[in-house]
Amino acid sequence: MLIFGERINGMFTDIGDALRNKDPKPIQYWAVKQQEGGAHYLDVNSGPAIPTHERVEAYEWMVNVIQEVSELPLVLDSTNYDAIEAGLKVCKRPAIINSCPAEQVKIERVFPMAIQYNAGIIGLTMDKKGIPKDAENRVAFAMELVAAADEYGVPMEDLFIDPLILPVNVAQEHAPEVLESLRQVKMLANPAPRTVLGLSNVSQKSPDRNLINRTYMAMAIASGLDAAIMDANDDDLVDVAATCQILLNRSVYADSYLKVFRAR
Amino acid sequence: MALTGLEIYKQMPKKNCGECGVPTCLAFAMALASGKAALDSCPYVTEAARENLDSAAAPPIKAIKFGKDSVLGDETVLFRHDKTFYHPTTLLISVSDTLSDDELNAKIEEIKGLEFERVGLQYSIDGVAVVQESGDAARFAKVAAVVAEATDKSLLLLSSDPEAMKAALAPLASRKPLIGAATADNYEAMVNLAKENSVPVIIKADGLDALEELVVKAQALGYKEFVLDPGTRTPVDTLANLTHIRRLAIKKKFRPLGFPVIAYTSKTEPMEEIMEASVYVAKYASAVVLKTSKKAHLLPLMTLKQNIYTDPQKPIQVEPKLHSVGNVDENSPFYITTNFSLTYYSVEGEVETSKIPSYILPIDTDGTSVLTAYAAGKFEPEKIVEAMNACGIADKVKHRNIIIPGYVAVISGKLSELSGWKTIVGPRESSGIVSFSKSLT
Repeated sequence: MLIFGERINGMFTDIGDALRNKDPKPIQYWAVKQQEGGAHYLDVNSGPAIPTHERVEAYEWMVNVIQEVSELPLVLDSTNYDAIEAGLKVCKRPAIINSCPAEQVKIERVFPMAIQYNAGIIGLTMDKKGIPKDAENRVAFAMELVAAADEYGVPMEDLFIDPLILPVNVAQEHAPEVLESLRQVKMLANPAPRTVLGLSNVSQKSPDRNLINRTYMAMAIASGLDAAIMDANDDDLVDVAATCQILLNRSVYADSYLKVFRAR
Repeated sequence: MALTGLEIYKQMPKKNCGECGVPTCLAFAMALASGKAALDSCPYVTEAARENLDSAAAPPIKAIKFGKDSVLGDETVLFRHDKTFYHPTTLLISVSDTLSDDELNAKIEEIKGLEFERVGLQYSIDGVAVVQESGDAARFAKVAAVVAEATDKSLLLLSSDPEAMKAALAPLASRKPLIGAATADNYEAMVNLAKENSVPVIIKADGLDALEELVVKAQALGYKEFVLDPGTRTPVDTLANLTHIRRLAIKKKFRPLGFPVIAYTSKTEPMEEIMEASVYVAKYASAVVLKTSKKAHLLPLMTLKQNIYTDPQKPIQVEPKLHSVGNVDENSPFYITTNFSLTYYSVEGEVETSKIPSYILPIDTDGTSVLTAYAAGKFEPEKIVEAMNACGIADKVKHRNIIIPGYVAVISGKLSELSGWKTIVGPRESSGIVSFSKSLT
């Protein structure tokens, strides 16, 4: 189970301010703090904090300041592929591109870029028309991404299919469909593509967000989830991720497994 | 084994004509993968694609049977702890047709003597490989006949000359020997000979590329009873090829290499030869041909084979009979435990360390530990008394004391009552046996 720390995102006020003021401190603070929490990758998103024409430059700056303090590989999170490419150029370790929907035009932009920079891809099970409601159509989109990976030569292990979880308070019927999608995505190819979720989305605007997040994560991991973009500093959540590793026989059990999971 | 959507999609015509009732070939592949459509509804799928899709559903490594109960292949994992290895390596001793009649008879006698009994298990060598080195077809046939007459073990006939093979095989076909090797030069004759006689045949080529090519050609003759020989004769190259072949067959469902593999030892010094063969037994060889036929050389190899091919999911058991540690006499203490090997050997080790010669009786609990067996009703006083009577401990010691594991102290009363012996509750952990045993005298 891979943890993609979600905190370096311009949607948060401190990161937004840091971007506007070119102040590396809050960004570097969260890079270190998320690594300590148990993150394996750091998601990097400039968000809407800065004007569109400055994003490419801002993105490159963010990647550089993070790499000054952390060895963790990065998940480059943007809809602006020029910004992502600028980030990829300065990444010291193979990164993951977040994200590419099942649209031919975007596939043609993203997949060759992934090959060029030896990067992974998060593939969204949606197209221009939006997010499908049922598992069947999610998996059909996943299959298009899998076929694209095969065509462009992206190793299946580098393709992370995101079946797109929505907030349970307003889109409750999606939650079980996403679990079913996770199961089916694993049957699409051998080796299977990996899977990822933007986990915190499930609890948007609900009370007891942490409870919802960690319950759903355990269910999703049992259904085939390999990675989550999530709060790496929610200790209970990271404990659940570690415990799932043990209960699915993916890590060898030791009494100190919670500590071992974070130390890896 | 179900096919993945991608594997099916690759076999599709990719016309996206929609005649199958599904808008795109990709969607049709998905429907096939989930069992919601039939391949027949696509009018454009080629015969080759159909064949590929059919054969992909077959097991990754074909089972090849020959001789006396030898089964090669039909394995599904790379590591035995993932499930188990199913069909133990067939071990064959090679016999050259250049041996004189006297040497041949001596060799046969030696091979016949390769029967062992160890820890209650019967071991024997599986077969004999008759190798043509004389260049004389008549001699090869004669030696094959003599070996076949002398033993009922599985036979492997090795010759590069199809005519010599034909002569040797004709009278022995009912024994269903494995024959070999079909090479790029002789494969048509060899494979046809195998096909006519319904015997499996070794396909031999140098390296995996050549091997794949030859298997495909040989299959075109309408036969599939193959055993592979990647041609390498050094341990390092053979290990690499054995690993690649197993991996490709299982992980990639690579059909041309989905057959069992035979390995030949190269070392002539017997110790080195056995070490080399041990590598092949552990790493996926379905058959190994050996030069040595000495008992002392083969026992360790056969023990290894036995161990590697046990099912790791099933607890390993020791024989539930009376065991003795050291020079026991009528005063030796008498311990009770279970026949779970981990439990038994923990106890045995500690008893040995105590330096007091003792008897240990492992009760047959289907290989479960003391507490597990107790909880499952398999370590009851009645059963212990029965085992005591069966093993005759009463005639071996003059005392009437039973030492039981501390965790089942609760059975001591009933056990004393039923057996008429005094029950002494030992320590809970076997690590306490050493100090406990001192208190006995």
